[in-house]
Amino acid sequence: MGRSLPLQGIRVANFGWGWLGPVAGQTLSRLGAEVYKVESHVRVDINRTIPPFAGGERDPDRSLQNHAGWAGNGSITLDLKRSEGQELALRLVAVCDVVLENFGPGVMEKLGLGWEPLRAANPRLVMVSMPAAGLFGPLSSVRTYGMSLSSITGLDSLTGYHGGPPVPMENAFADPLGGTIGAFAALLGLHQRRRSGEGQHIDFSQQEGVMQLVGPAFMDFTFNGRVAGPIGNRHPTAAAAPHGVFPCAGEDRWISLAVRDAAEWRGLRAAMDDPAWAEDADFADGAARVAHIDALHERIAAWSRQHDDYALARRLQDFGVPAAPVLNVADLLRDPHYAARGTFIEVEHPLGFRETVYGHYVKTSRGQPAYRPGPTMGEDNRHVFQELLEIPPARFEALVKERVIY
Amino acid sequence: MAVAALEGVRIVELGQGVSAAFCTRLFADYGAEVIKIEMPGAGDVTRSWGPFPADEPHLEKSGLFFVLNTNKRSVTLDPSGDEGRDLLLRILDGADVLVENHQPGQMRAWGLDYARLAERIPALVMISITPFGQTGPYAAWKGCDLNAYHLSGTGSRYCGRPDEAPLEQGTFSADYFGAYVAATWGLASLLTQDAERGEHIDVSCAEAIAALFVGAQNIGGYAQDGSFEKRTGVGMPLAAPATILPCKDGYVWMLALELGQWQGLARAMGNPDWTQTELFQDMFARAQHADVIYPLLEEWTRRHTKQEIMDRCQEHGCPSTAVFTVQDAAQHPHLDERGFIVELEHSVLGSVRTLGAPVLLPQAPGGPRSAAPLLGQHNGEVYGERLGLGEERLRELAANGVI
Repeated sequence: MGRSLPLQGIRVANFGWGWLGPVAGQTLSRLGAEVYKVESHVRVDINRTIPPFAGGERDPDRSLQNHAGWAGNGSITLDLKRSEGQELALRLVAVCDVVLENFGPGVMEKLGLGWEPLRAANPRLVMVSMPAAGLFGPLSSVRTYGMSLSSITGLDSLTGYHGGPPVPMENAFADPLGGTIGAFAALLGLHQRRRSGEGQHIDFSQQEGVMQLVGPAFMDFTFNGRVAGPIGNRHPTAAAAPHGVFPCAGEDRWISLAVRDAAEWRGLRAAMDDPAWAEDADFADGAARVAHIDALHERIAAWSRQHDDYALARRLQDFGVPAAPVLNVADLLRDPHYAARGTFIEVEHPLGFRETVYGHYVKTSRGQPAYRPGPTMGEDNRHVFQELLEIPPARFEALVKERVIY
Repeated sequence: MAVAALEGVRIVELGQGVSAAFCTRLFADYGAEVIKIEMPGAGDVTRSWGPFPADEPHLEKSGLFFVLNTNKRSVTLDPSGDEGRDLLLRILDGADVLVENHQPGQMRAWGLDYARLAERIPALVMISITPFGQTGPYAAWKGCDLNAYHLSGTGSRYCGRPDEAPLEQGTFSADYFGAYVAATWGLASLLTQDAERGEHIDVSCAEAIAALFVGAQNIGGYAQDGSFEKRTGVGMPLAAPATILPCKDGYVWMLALELGQWQGLARAMGNPDWTQTELFQDMFARAQHADVIYPLLEEWTRRHTKQEIMDRCQEHGCPSTAVFTVQDAAQHPHLDERGFIVELEHSVLGSVRTLGAPVLLPQAPGGPRSAAPLLGQHNGEVYGERLGLGEERLRELAANGVI
């Protein structure tokens, strides 16, 4: 048994949906909080409907990616469109420390769960709203998907091959990132509460969280009025070359490689067995290499494609050059580094099957909570309504029958 | 005015580059005191990375350094000798958190690994943010953002065309991602009771993305079914439209999946006949015919600006958006109204516009208040006033290259 976890005793009602909201809850759970995702059969969360399913059985309790992304959240089912459901939600909020939600602005208000009623129910509550572009401002009602959220930050305009059109990131990078920032926001609120004794309603705009990543190009615009386009795998401020992804032997095999100073350049030359071309004045120092980056990358690619990716990365590391294989999905599961760190683990789900998910991706000397698999819908209903909220069994059964708890 | 959420929290940053600096900026945005330790002479490497006004390199004029280091104090210190290490330890004696991003072997060589620090300062929270992490076969590897990002599988799975190289997103994605994760764990650690305080937090930027992003959506299926997918270069291949298309003045992220969204898009385009085809009412069927649909959509988008397309689509319940350039984003009235873009005065650069804090707290101030520090700007304050070193001693340390 390790020491107590940082958020031991903190309870969270998670009205978040999709991918981002549940990741925020999962993050707090990994830090020791007790988290209940509030959902309903009235409209099953879209994240539960995404294949593949355990054993191929299409069932909202068996979506494999849903289990990975929601693990750590508990689940209660409540029809929030009905006033009895809203009342029960308010009673839960009264015994929680944190509320998370990632609807559009105004949705929680329509459910009778806006900041005012929540604060009335619990003045010490930290409420974190995580809409696409914040709770106020001309863009606040913008609709996006997690995948396209980055389009309103400028980030998508930087992604693509150098000189070409933007190439889309094909999944919602902003969702797990935003979920993490949402948890960060909740922790800020808890720090503030410790000082003031009061809760507050925090406005986390995903746009502003993701736009931090545009910092380098933003500053170039600020200083020089330059509007950057896609830069491929080049250094974001053009301060290093080579800096790219290079082909290796085999189909779709690559390594990433960067040279940031003279010592690393000497290392790369030695690793390549000192080819004559590398002595060219075009490649003599950092500025020259950046100026001639296309020619430089072509030369390196001609060399790299003769070699195995892992072997080449190891050889470059032996010569002090930052390099690593470019992994695909299958590689992640067999890579010795992730295996050693326990990044992916096989767990037994209470429904009776084994599944592979990601484990504790942050290692701490304090220790980690036991892994809690992705919740089945309503698995905590009895605990929350009967034990926590002390609803008598007969009333509980009636609420289930009336599909308020549903 | 209310007191900042992290007022009184003391952070020391011993880092190079993006990840450690962005992590401590997240603390500094909310009132923590951050002392940034920089090597005498050149300082943090981002001081040399630019971008610079008019592209003229200058240690005090780097835009990247600026945006990452607002609200901080800078002291110079070389931790490689005994004198430097002792000074650093004295600074750490008064700190709650150390954030660093060096190779694990480097910290050991300096005598600043967690085991040794914990012996002296048991309550210290040490946050290490590295490409690969403190343990495992690649722990001793050299690495940067690009290596970490591509070790996460993100490029191979989700970014780039199938027959070309997997792509980074055009920034330091892995560094930023790892920094957010690290700040979250660090902030939680500071909530523990004093007697329980003190731990080492090991964040691998590669691992964080491999787990939370790529792993979450792919590993369960691959482990069960033995098959996996790769980047397509298009967007979402299963449903359509879900892609970036060129328009009159740039690009739009074209998204219309659910039926209502598709009908909204059709209305936005003036309901051309082809959108009413029975076959095209289903997002999966549309994806089967993407080679027909995308050119037809492009015919329309080419005739309109990204803002027109975004406005019309959003008005009709279709979530398509303009692909903002950095200029579009930087000058957007929405961000102005929210106070996200902040102007600060810097003694060498003059007035500088920089990015605000990522989270808005109504009860407490947040965001950048003071410009990024000059190299060693706070030596006098930290070494003189705090540690009580006399002027002669300071001159001696400077002469020896320690500070």
